[in-house]
Amino acid sequence: MEKNYKTIMQESLNSKNAEYKEIRVEETVSTRINYNGKTRENVSINSHFGGSARSMTNGGWGFTSFNEIDLAPAKMKESIELAGFSQNAPFEIQKNTPKNVILTAEVKKDPRKISLTEKINLLDHYKELVLSDKRIQGCEIVYGDTERKVIFADSDGNEIEQNFIHVILRIAANSSDGNEMLQSGFSIGSLGDYSIVENLDNKVLECTKKSIDLIKAPKITGQETTVVLDQILAGVFVHEAFGHLSEADNVYENKRLQDILKLGEKFGNQDLNITDGAKIPNLRGSYEFDDEGTPSTSTPLIREGVLVGRLHSKETASKLDEKPTGNARAISYAYPPIVRMTNTIIENSTNTREEIIKDTKDGLYVKNWYGGMTEHEMFTFSSAETYKIENGEIKETLRPVKLSGNLFTTLKNINGIADDLEINQGGGCGKGGQSPLPVSNGSPHIRINNCLVSSG
Amino acid sequence: MEKIEKLLIKNFEQHEIYEEENEYKSITFEANKLKEISIKQSKGFAVRAIKNSGLTFSSSSNYDLEKFSSNFLELSEFPTKTNINFPKKYDSENKAKIFSEDEFLIENSFFINKLDKNIKKILKKFPDALCDAEFDLGKGKSSLKNSNGLSIQSEESGISFFISAQTINGNDMLNIYNYASSVKNIEDVVIDILTSKLIENLTIAQNIKETPKNGCPVIFTPHGLYQTILSPLLVSFNGDNLSKNLSKLSNKENDDIFDKKITILDNPLIDFSTSSRNFDSEGIPTKINTLIKNGKFISGIFDLKTADEYNCESTGSAARSVHSNTFPSISNLIMNTGDKPFNKMIEQIDEGILVDHLLGAGQGNELSGDFSANISLGYKIEKGKLVGRVKNTMISGNSFNALKKIDEISKENENVYGSLELPFLQTSNVEISS
Repeated sequence: MEKNYKTIMQESLNSKNAEYKEIRVEETVSTRINYNGKTRENVSINSHFGGSARSMTNGGWGFTSFNEIDLAPAKMKESIELAGFSQNAPFEIQKNTPKNVILTAEVKKDPRKISLTEKINLLDHYKELVLSDKRIQGCEIVYGDTERKVIFADSDGNEIEQNFIHVILRIAANSSDGNEMLQSGFSIGSLGDYSIVENLDNKVLECTKKSIDLIKAPKITGQETTVVLDQILAGVFVHEAFGHLSEADNVYENKRLQDILKLGEKFGNQDLNITDGAKIPNLRGSYEFDDEGTPSTSTPLIREGVLVGRLHSKETASKLDEKPTGNARAISYAYPPIVRMTNTIIENSTNTREEIIKDTKDGLYVKNWYGGMTEHEMFTFSSAETYKIENGEIKETLRPVKLSGNLFTTLKNINGIADDLEINQGGGCGKGGQSPLPVSNGSPHIRINNCLVSSG
Repeated sequence: MEKIEKLLIKNFEQHEIYEEENEYKSITFEANKLKEISIKQSKGFAVRAIKNSGLTFSSSSNYDLEKFSSNFLELSEFPTKTNINFPKKYDSENKAKIFSEDEFLIENSFFINKLDKNIKKILKKFPDALCDAEFDLGKGKSSLKNSNGLSIQSEESGISFFISAQTINGNDMLNIYNYASSVKNIEDVVIDILTSKLIENLTIAQNIKETPKNGCPVIFTPHGLYQTILSPLLVSFNGDNLSKNLSKLSNKENDDIFDKKITILDNPLIDFSTSSRNFDSEGIPTKINTLIKNGKFISGIFDLKTADEYNCESTGSAARSVHSNTFPSISNLIMNTGDKPFNKMIEQIDEGILVDHLLGAGQGNELSGDFSANISLGYKIEKGKLVGRVKNTMISGNSFNALKKIDEISKENENVYGSLELPFLQTSNVEISS
């Protein structure tokens, strides 16, 4: 079967001329188990096959997708015709040394070897644990594992097969103050390791307790204040506040933005170092080759507060004449690859968490996350837990807050980075309709001055 | 598919097979230039089957039917509890126009020229602007058959137009977009209005003004109203949340919840709207549902499962993709208009904000109706005029409170996302911080 795929893919690449051609086929099987309220809502196994052809002519792209492998040669021809409508200035796409490889999935504890019964028994147990406190109104549990095989080939001679297994779990407990629903939860994930969803009783009970604590927690009014972020929320912060603007598809056609985001410009203080890379192993954003066949890297983005790099696809690297970084990713065969983050990390500094909090006279300790979004230099992200800090001590629980800022001021307002880096793998990223893409974010505790926050 | 049907008849009391085949075309301009043309095809099928009050669901696009069958039988050991019956064939008078093939016959160069022309209009006024623009075309066939005799074939189509412009002054980046969609080709006059409006808004927004103090009058554009207030509110109308008692509206039918000035309908039968449908995804004929009438909560939206759990009838609101089980979904949301022209609403304000777009909406606790987000596009009103844009400003509040007392509703309404008809609305129950 697989041989057959590869033969047809190569046949497709031999068709008609274009400056660049690539073809991808993909097989996925995913298991999903959901709970909502007090019951198990859905157990499903969905399996999919599809492929896509992409080509470039006159600086423009044609893209086609299909569900039947036999259509591949015709769809490649069609993509070349579509690219032919372009009349842009041509550019030469950067080439890498062609590879012909088959990469098996990284597996520690294989979710495919765990029976559906065993998975459901475990999740049923967590559900009962959440609901064991009568003050809890309901729970939300989402478990998923996905087996994904992607075969990529291009007109430069690459033929790369990669296999991935992803595991995700979110558990949340809902309580109510009689008027409003309140929620506390956590999200985790791994590349090929089912064991992360095991032995979570303490974490589940802790999340239940936090949900109940919210019942009496007051809301804050909108204000500018000092915030200390835990590792999880600081990871979301670096993703939203900086990561998206380091994606070169924002700047490669935008001269003005290139002037603003010039390599060598200072964006933060001396102790700020940010890196993104799929080369960092065994995380949900890790891989050997991106969806354009470019080898993955680990890319320093900020060094000692100075902008030193950005994330590239073949096209953005070619047009900006910078080195490819292997950040072109597609969420599935049905989408063209676009520039995306992988594993994005603020690196450790020398402070301890305790020193940072002790040194904060008045502010908020914000932990865990609901979500985040970016639009150019503006971003928002939301905490799932919030505590008052008074005279260097963590005090009462408050309702979760939304934090908002601006790239140019907020990064410079970071004035404390701890030494306790942790990486969160429970998130997914959305861009250009492609969501949720597996990524991970990491950071030590950080403190930001003058951050705009409000409840909600 | 016959093999699967045999398996279902043998092992289940009821079953339903849904098949879908779609084609999409996108013509995309990026940074003022044609970037990509894409044609995507997709097909797949989904099966739901019931035995002993338990429902099993699975979907596939790889047509490995042996594997599908064995997975399905394994899954059926862990069904979702339900008492629903798949519907019998219904007679329906519904004839909303939801299909037109015309657009797919149009040459690519026609769309390319139209996008290029509209981008050039913007560049004439703002030569340094970077514009993205796009036409998206889609058509699809679906078939729904169940073991109770229902068999529906349906064809749908849609086209949408999108245009955006970005300007940069110093470290200030501004991005404004407009959008329209329809089942049939979008007329030039509609596109011209969208582009002209974008230029007008881009002009006003070049001036950055100081944010007025909290407590100032706040008007929402139809888009701002949806994004800020209605989107979190609709979570509480969803049958799934009503039936689980998670919604603040659970068992509050006919209670006065909102300002008497508010009436909201869900109308799935509007000709040429891309969200219209004559049957829902379970085969129930659709109908106009009143959600709020003169401030009273009338009804939520339900599919068969959530209706059964809430002890009411399905409102014909089931939606699905080929990869998902059905879920209740709004079609075309229509809110009543008021008496006052929009320009008069602005004229009577000495200092206030007109909220148009938010960044970070929908990330909070939506079940409570709470919202909190950065105003990514909001205009300052000064002495009855729009004078510029506010920046680095957050808006927060609660949808239920915001709609409890309305100051004004405009005489005009506008179409948002092709499927919402909403007015401009002024309410005082929101908080502004900057």
